[in-house]
Amino acid sequence: MNNESKTVGVLGAGTMGSGIAAVMARAGHRTILYDIDEAGLDRGVGTVRGFFDKSVRLGKLDAAAGQAAKDALTGTTDLTDLAPCDVVVEAVFEDLALKKETFGRLDEIVSESALFHTNTSTLSVTGIASGSRRPERVVGTHYCNPAPLMKLVEVADGRHTAAWAHKATVEFLASVGKTSVVTKDRPGFIVNRFLIPWENSCIHALEAGLGTKESIDAAVLGALGHPMGPFRLLDIVGMDIHQQVATRLYEQLRDPRFFPPPMVARMVAAGDLGRKTGRGFYEYDDTRLFGS
Amino acid sequence: MSESTADFSTVGLLGLGTMGAGIAQVFAASGRSVVVLEASRERLDAGTASVAAFLDGGVARGKITEADRGAVLARITGTTAVRDLAGAEVVVESVTEDAEVKKALLAQVAAVIGESTPILTNTSALSVTDLAAGLPNPGRVAGLHFFNPAPLMRTVEVVRALQTDEALVERLVALVRTLGDKEPVVVKDRPGFLVNALLLPYLNDVIQEYDDGLATAEDIDVAIRLGLGYKSGPLELLDMIGLDVHLHATEAAYVATLDARYAPPPLLRQMVAAGRLGVKSGEGFRTGRHASDH
Repeated sequence: MNNESKTVGVLGAGTMGSGIAAVMARAGHRTILYDIDEAGLDRGVGTVRGFFDKSVRLGKLDAAAGQAAKDALTGTTDLTDLAPCDVVVEAVFEDLALKKETFGRLDEIVSESALFHTNTSTLSVTGIASGSRRPERVVGTHYCNPAPLMKLVEVADGRHTAAWAHKATVEFLASVGKTSVVTKDRPGFIVNRFLIPWENSCIHALEAGLGTKESIDAAVLGALGHPMGPFRLLDIVGMDIHQQVATRLYEQLRDPRFFPPPMVARMVAAGDLGRKTGRGFYEYDDTRLFGS
Repeated sequence: MSESTADFSTVGLLGLGTMGAGIAQVFAASGRSVVVLEASRERLDAGTASVAAFLDGGVARGKITEADRGAVLARITGTTAVRDLAGAEVVVESVTEDAEVKKALLAQVAAVIGESTPILTNTSALSVTDLAAGLPNPGRVAGLHFFNPAPLMRTVEVVRALQTDEALVERLVALVRTLGDKEPVVVKDRPGFLVNALLLPYLNDVIQEYDDGLATAEDIDVAIRLGLGYKSGPLELLDMIGLDVHLHATEAAYVATLDARYAPPPLLRQMVAAGRLGVKSGEGFRTGRHASDH
């Protein structure tokens, strides 16, 4: 596969899917964003277009490039519109049966040589790939949020991933401006594998009275060179998301370090999810996550 | 100079190794006189040279002036005689992480300083409460834990031992606020205090997963730097800390807690046994010719 303009399908117009679609369109690939829900699709396409407008306003993209990126993106609710795709990236709801079924249906629609990428963060690449009749073309590509700004993609092969698919994936990611790291099909890959126990241990430290949220955040910031303390980060991630990811990893690993401490469930029950609800560990007037 | 800066205008410092040199520089830069006790002239000269080299870097980058550099160095004087610490208004201990060595030295120092002169330890692995217990008037003992490199890292843990007077804790919080942009964090005297209690298990976890083949050392570091925005990846951080230093710290925390998260991973022991200590030995996880073997 060469690195000329390709046709890329992105499935799921939520936060991650929209972000990944923006990456593809910005890199000059004809990008088709798919969602089952018309309203969700419109929101996703609007998000990507808004992102390009903002990039132009901030001088990150010139006006012509912004327009070209917008023109490269189309939306659809009809899966058969993905037929011409060279690469499909699924970022649908984090549900194994749904992801397997999605790849099974795509088998019937796209060409035999198309790459299947899954942006799962907590499920097994091998498990998802088993939904396709050609699991050798399925590769895990885990993007970070917000995908257009974060350079990292974790690449994980399933048990049956072919060497050609892995190689083509790493080359493709480089062509869209991403830095890939190669890891294994293990729960959490690299980043969440270490981040989730870290965040949990900070919450335990808070509950144990080793410090206050302010002192722990300040200590970590000033001693370890992290860009923000653990509780500021959790407020951005969202307590519901942290709970979900941690619980899913715990269910697979049965390692107590991954189990969300009881404080997480209390905060979720109280609706204190973080920045997006105006209150998590801290209180916020501005509930926007990444600017407008 | 503010009123609080005048508190502890003469600091007696024990030890001018890596941490001691950084601490001497921090206190001297805040306008205080620092009298440093070392075992030999050679060690004093080596420590002073490393302070001078650090300051040279600051001058070269335009962070400080030549005059600042001279003033800081002029405020640091060395001695090999314990009695020269008699006039210190506070003593800060930063000698080797060995409880017996620290206790023996602190007892000698306590005999020459005022009976209520605060004694602070920069230990990262030992119990401050245990060190305080061996000294007269233990209420004047607390931990003052700097991170390496001390002149750059903003966090300073103020460790409250079981015996520490509350008034001393408050004085130390005020003291830290006079040290440039330093940020005091008051913590309990638990193994690893706050930051290392969190950091040691994370680093052990990374070493074990690396040994288990999760990814190459470089890819683990890249993932953490790009994915989480940390200044250093965990394996390059370990190389900087020194694998022997990390082993010593995590072993001490393990012995004190029997918490398996602190148990040194087998690969860590092997690296130390093989003399691969990180940057200082030229070989480590990300340093030297073996760095890409795994």
